[in-house]
Amino acid sequence: MVLIKEKFIPLFFIAPALAYEAYFAFYPTFSAVYGSFLTASGKVSTINYQELAGLGVYSAITNTVIITIGALALQFVLGFIIASLLVRGFRGKNAFSALLMIPFATATVVAGYIFSNVFSPIGGYANGTLNLFGLSSINWNGAGSNFIVNIIQLIIADSWKNTPIVALILLAGLTSIPRDLYDAAAVDGAGWFSRLVHITLPNLVGFIVIALVIRGVSEFNIFAIALLLFPHKLLTTLVYGLFSLAAKPYLSFAGASVLLGFILVFVALVLALRRITASRSGN
Amino acid sequence: MAKKKLRGYLIYIAVIILSIIFLYPLFILFMLAFVPAQYTIYSAYPSLYPKGLTLQYFEEALKINLVGPLIKSLEVAFMVGAMALAIGIPAAYGLSKLKPNLAAGISTLFFLTNMMPSITIAIPMAVEFLKFGLYDTSISLALAQELVVLPLSIFILLGAFQALPKDLEAQARVDGAGLFRTIYMILTPLAKAGVVATFLIAWMMSWDEFTFAIFLSPIHPTLPIIIYENITRGNILATSAFAIVVTIPVIILAVVLAKYLRGEYLAGGLNG
Repeated sequence: MVLIKEKFIPLFFIAPALAYEAYFAFYPTFSAVYGSFLTASGKVSTINYQELAGLGVYSAITNTVIITIGALALQFVLGFIIASLLVRGFRGKNAFSALLMIPFATATVVAGYIFSNVFSPIGGYANGTLNLFGLSSINWNGAGSNFIVNIIQLIIADSWKNTPIVALILLAGLTSIPRDLYDAAAVDGAGWFSRLVHITLPNLVGFIVIALVIRGVSEFNIFAIALLLFPHKLLTTLVYGLFSLAAKPYLSFAGASVLLGFILVFVALVLALRRITASRSGN
Repeated sequence: MAKKKLRGYLIYIAVIILSIIFLYPLFILFMLAFVPAQYTIYSAYPSLYPKGLTLQYFEEALKINLVGPLIKSLEVAFMVGAMALAIGIPAAYGLSKLKPNLAAGISTLFFLTNMMPSITIAIPMAVEFLKFGLYDTSISLALAQELVVLPLSIFILLGAFQALPKDLEAQARVDGAGLFRTIYMILTPLAKAGVVATFLIAWMMSWDEFTFAIFLSPIHPTLPIIIYENITRGNILATSAFAIVVTIPVIILAVVLAKYLRGEYLAGGLNG
């Protein structure tokens, strides 16, 4: 009797969290996916997806994927540089760590607003800086502006806000690597690159996976920053598109299901990466 | 030796460039708020340093409704933080009793629940809350925002519990402490840093949250919604000053409590 009870104790404690998630997340998710295959009169069909294709869902998908990949790349490169600086310690390290908290504590809406003033075609600080160096202005997000320029400014704005969290996670990873590993490698004459590939990255995999999952899921859901930078829908992302579709629930369910599919593939890839690297390094 | 010196210089160059990147956008916000508009948004090439000062926009910002939204934002953020601990601590304790692989699997499952876009969940939720008479209340918004916060909270707390010595609990039980007493009076205080980190991160995520807030609390909005509404109304300079008023305290809070915002906690469940 006591044994059975002991076995169910963990479940008893996890139950509230499971119940909450089931009611507020699983249930609406399943009903949205199910609803995406229904017509307004309740018949099962793929008509919502066909209509979505007519509304430019392809460009929203392309934009979202490009932004996600670009933003993750920028955040991980910058985050890794910041973490590498912080792990070695230098004078002014504490002040630098404090500065790292500025984007972290600035609300996304405020960050989006600041960058809408940086990348404004008139009175924008990016053009002000270009002008200072004698360069000509760029039409950042006015009518007829370049698609790549639009994407780049969104990635920059998003990365300003979110690089610190990536840096903090990677810093935790770097701190966890024993110093003697590097000392031993130095004795063996391993260069900078070889230490990066053979010591740093393999030991960081777990932390990279966490940061990728946390950030990747939010990048696919990128919305508020896009709304503030492109109030005239010059550039839409999947969730921005869903915001405009909110009045048409079945279409919106279909759009959400497309997004869900992309995120599931992304997470599966990240977890596969973890499996592969784990089996290669033998732990 | 020369090589080492060169590396030292490179570190400082990188630190200075990155510091400017972090700081400059905030500086721009200050310029928008305190420099006359002819040098900022009305000039083709805004000045990169303050050419004049005015308190006009700051005075206009004081007319924006601050108190109601501030109370709402604080209420919701504290509820989200409290709920993250109320549901997260038992869940993390339960998970820490399972095999590490199974615990990792279940916490990944929690992360998966984050994947449905907030917008898609927000609308059916609004309908439900209307039915229960909870629409537009702080508790309903907190319940929704908890969806974004809970998976990370459980993950951080799981790491904190897994890091405690294994025989500690057995010791407490032998000494006659009941299960709940052991969890809340012995284990939780020892995992204090992780608990504080969880609350703080939950609080900040709620403070920042936009999508659920715009759909679930339109009548008594939170601060991010007030900021967004004022920008879309074209009230942008006063909004800059307003945004400073609501951002600076949170930056100070984050700097003061920075020791709890460490990556070790965010990557908590990895310790298992």
